[in-house]
Amino acid sequence: MAQLLDPVATRSRSMRSGRPVKRALTSRWAYLFVLPALLVFLVFSIGPTIFAFALSLFNWNYLNAAMSKFVGLKNYVDLVKGTRDPSFWSTMWTSAQFVIPMVVGGTVISLLLALLLSGNSPVLYGVRTAVFLAHVTPFVGVSIVWVWLFNPRYGLVNAATALFGMAPRDWLGDPKTAMFAIVVFSLWHEVGFTLIIFLGGLTTLDKTLSEAAQIDRANKLQEIWYVILPQLRPYTIFVIVISTVFSLQAFTQFFVMTGGGPGFSTATLGFAVYQQAFIYRKTGYAAALAVVLFALTAVLSLLQLRASRNTGR
Amino acid sequence: MARRSSRKRWLSGLRNTAAALIGLAWLVPLLWMFLSSVSNDADVYRVPPKLWPAWNWGNYARAWAARPWPRYFANTLIIALSVVAFTLVTSILAGFAFALMRFRGSKTLFYVVMSVMMVPQTVLLIPNFILAHTTGLYDTYWIQILPWAASVFGIFLLRQTLSALPTEIFEAAELDGAGPVSMLVRIAAPLAVPSLILIGLNTFMGSWSSFVWPYLMTQNDTVRPIEVGLQAFYGAEGTDWTGLSAAVTFTTLPVVILFFSLQKYFVQGAFSTQGAVQ
Amino acid sequence: MTRNPIRGLATLLVAGSMVLLSACSGSTAGSTPSASALPSLDPSKQTTITFMEAMSSGAQQAALKKMTADFEAQHPNVTVQLQEQPNYGALQTKITAQVAANSAPTIAQVYENWADELSSSNVIVPLDEYVASSKDYKDFYSGIQADMKLRDGKNWMWPFNKSVVVQYYNESLVPKAPATWGEFAQTAKSVSKNGVVALSIDPGSETSPAGGTALFEILAESFGTPVFAKDGTPQFDSDAAKKALNYLVDLKKSNALALGTNYPGQTALGNQTGAFDVSSVASYPFNQKAVGGKFVMGVAPLPAGTAKTANQLAGTNIAMFSSADDQQKAAAWAYMQFLTSPAEMAYWASQTGYLPVVKTAMDEQAMKDYLAKNPWVGDVVKQLDTATPLPPVSYVNKASGALSTAISSAVNGTASVDDALAQAQAAGKKAASES
Repeated sequence: MAQLLDPVATRSRSMRSGRPVKRALTSRWAYLFVLPALLVFLVFSIGPTIFAFALSLFNWNYLNAAMSKFVGLKNYVDLVKGTRDPSFWSTMWTSAQFVIPMVVGGTVISLLLALLLSGNSPVLYGVRTAVFLAHVTPFVGVSIVWVWLFNPRYGLVNAATALFGMAPRDWLGDPKTAMFAIVVFSLWHEVGFTLIIFLGGLTTLDKTLSEAAQIDRANKLQEIWYVILPQLRPYTIFVIVISTVFSLQAFTQFFVMTGGGPGFSTATLGFAVYQQAFIYRKTGYAAALAVVLFALTAVLSLLQLRASRNTGR
Repeated sequence: MARRSSRKRWLSGLRNTAAALIGLAWLVPLLWMFLSSVSNDADVYRVPPKLWPAWNWGNYARAWAARPWPRYFANTLIIALSVVAFTLVTSILAGFAFALMRFRGSKTLFYVVMSVMMVPQTVLLIPNFILAHTTGLYDTYWIQILPWAASVFGIFLLRQTLSALPTEIFEAAELDGAGPVSMLVRIAAPLAVPSLILIGLNTFMGSWSSFVWPYLMTQNDTVRPIEVGLQAFYGAEGTDWTGLSAAVTFTTLPVVILFFSLQKYFVQGAFSTQGAVQ
Repeated sequence: MTRNPIRGLATLLVAGSMVLLSACSGSTAGSTPSASALPSLDPSKQTTITFMEAMSSGAQQAALKKMTADFEAQHPNVTVQLQEQPNYGALQTKITAQVAANSAPTIAQVYENWADELSSSNVIVPLDEYVASSKDYKDFYSGIQADMKLRDGKNWMWPFNKSVVVQYYNESLVPKAPATWGEFAQTAKSVSKNGVVALSIDPGSETSPAGGTALFEILAESFGTPVFAKDGTPQFDSDAAKKALNYLVDLKKSNALALGTNYPGQTALGNQTGAFDVSSVASYPFNQKAVGGKFVMGVAPLPAGTAKTANQLAGTNIAMFSSADDQQKAAAWAYMQFLTSPAEMAYWASQTGYLPVVKTAMDEQAMKDYLAKNPWVGDVVKQLDTATPLPPVSYVNKASGALSTAISSAVNGTASVDDALAQAQAAGKKAASES
């Protein structure tokens, strides 16, 4: 089962000798080796997560903990009933509007780009670099740049759409377009990373299969569909998992570009946790949202891993 | 034959052109940032925009004087390099153990590690804020370093890389009387260098770009990193667009330079990590 | 400086369980602040106080630093650490986070609604006794005095940087400031051509409503009904509110209004793509700088509405945290009084454009010089007696946030005026009931 967590290891199974290995590696040293990392996780992630679980059972007075009240599951009841503002279900819908385009769009775009850009010509190399460069630029800075690009009066985006005769829009200020604008920016920023993963995957392709396809007079599209994509499956699954997790937890672009607005139209679950806790100081309710975010991230990742087991033999 | 090759050349020309257009489109925001940073104030408010700037470098001087940037840069470097050092050590240790060593509970512990990846950072802000205060780590470098001193990604990647190594080399080492430490240092680590580079760069970039954590966990400019400084500048001088562009440019530039100087290793690292599969 | 991670873990567990225990033990609301006599400052003891503030840019930063240095020179054993935040949103986040972590500053700039929340959690101290001992309090404008109190009638805040809204205009486009909102709309429409959009406003966001929302709130009151009733009840769907929002929508349709972020009115006015900026008096130095002598910038009080000339008292006060010890409280009180003394207020006002909270500041030479150069200040400062702040209730920010959303959607044409306001009213009511 552990191997299923990473499809790549599954494929390398043939390399293992299969019999029990080496006494030297069956040793107490292992605990010492994993200890530093585990301690860090325990103190700064696992412990605090448990604490957050506990918080979600309180009507927590953020300013004066002594005035907090234990309320049991009330925060979760409010959440399911959608009685808070914004309602939990509208927050979920907002999250879907960000996560789905990011995962689907990000995977498709980076896969297509990888197919287009794999190769040795200097042009392709330069373009790969350009796309990846966007990914390494720090978030706060480029978010600010994109706020300016989307400026309703002086922004480059409106200047560009004007060439096609479109009226200027207040991209980030209009509830209809704000999420779209943030998705465009986020894809611009994130695709570089997933592109690299696919490019890495493409170098591992079995050349003889493609040659066989060409001998069978398969055209390029058929070759991609029947020969290349199946071989890329482990990478695709990795990309889907990683972009789901990243986009569920995205924060900085919302913080800098819209503050979750207008209204709550860009307040995704990851942002809503911050908003409820640090802006509205409904700490207990925020903790309940956080628990949902945690559960959702976990379930999605596990589902995708299961899918990878079922399809990847 | 000749026809086929001319068609091929035509196709590859088409491919290069399409790729070049995409690459240019991708660079537009960064180019625009730079052009704004050397424009006169009045020109950035033109509709339609004025494309050729006035090369007004005064924006840089103005932005540079407004905040303690050298301090921010130094802080960022200190934090990022420390995080990288810690992460590499903890990752290779744990990655080695999970990939090659057999011990009771290894599966469970690995799941524990993997589950950490599913914890959103926002969940941790409140409890860790309290932790930071009770331990006196608030507003120090340490609160910006220690929580990131281990990386799930790093452990995962190294476990993957190392478990793909043929077991024979370790058996040979064992015959020579090598223990786990010397196997790790002499065999595994050198073979994992590409992955280590990838992890190191990734961690460095992540630390450099991190925002919400240092934003909430620090108070004084003496320990604050660049991104928080930039946000402060944006909050205070949001109307000074050309100065802001200059600040974004000079805070982004080091990352870009670093990327270009190490890019070869980065791509190599990425490729050989994935390539270890075969 | 080596830190043992195990100790960290132990501390976390201890801290966590302590907090939980104290939460369970039910020693809750009862803990009333002990009514102690006014602490007195021992001038021979070294004292450090912290002032968390958001005066992070331009003249405000420089002026506050100078005043603080002057105070420290007068009180050689007192050190005032300025904990500067980039903006009010960050300030609020930081204050609450610090308080939650038991490391509150000694004093901080707060809005009325923040003070409501802080006081109901017993983390700031009432200032009644302090106020009674102040010699300048009687000279405060009556609007300022009213603004220091919360709903319980106690003084919880000491005034600091107070402002009202004024209109700035480009005199080469608008020779004379409009006197009524009707005139304002006419003028705005007539100058909006050749790339000029008369007015740009920032409604802000759900979490931090900004100047555009304040303008709407002022308009509603000018047309007859303030957006909050006296007791703080939202009344966002009144006829006056509808009239106010229709007013903005109509300007937008005539291409005389644009929405933006980051003081878009200042930006547009400065680069001559706007004719007006409706903004706080505290924008004055910033607007001056943005205009940079390209044209003459006029300043005038806000136009009158059909019902009255309304204005909003804005800017923050200072609150004192209960966690400070007596020596710190005494030092902080000395500092707070210093800031509002006539001489300092005159300096502050002349540097930053904020209004002096104490009438006697007008007799100071610095203020006289400033008035000679900016005669409009004389008219505007009188509004400190009439302008009203938003009600000091914790939910006011969230409720105003709902209004900012209504403005964005109605002006952008995403929702009708009636629907947008009905929705805001529902959200506002909900915010009020949740608090």
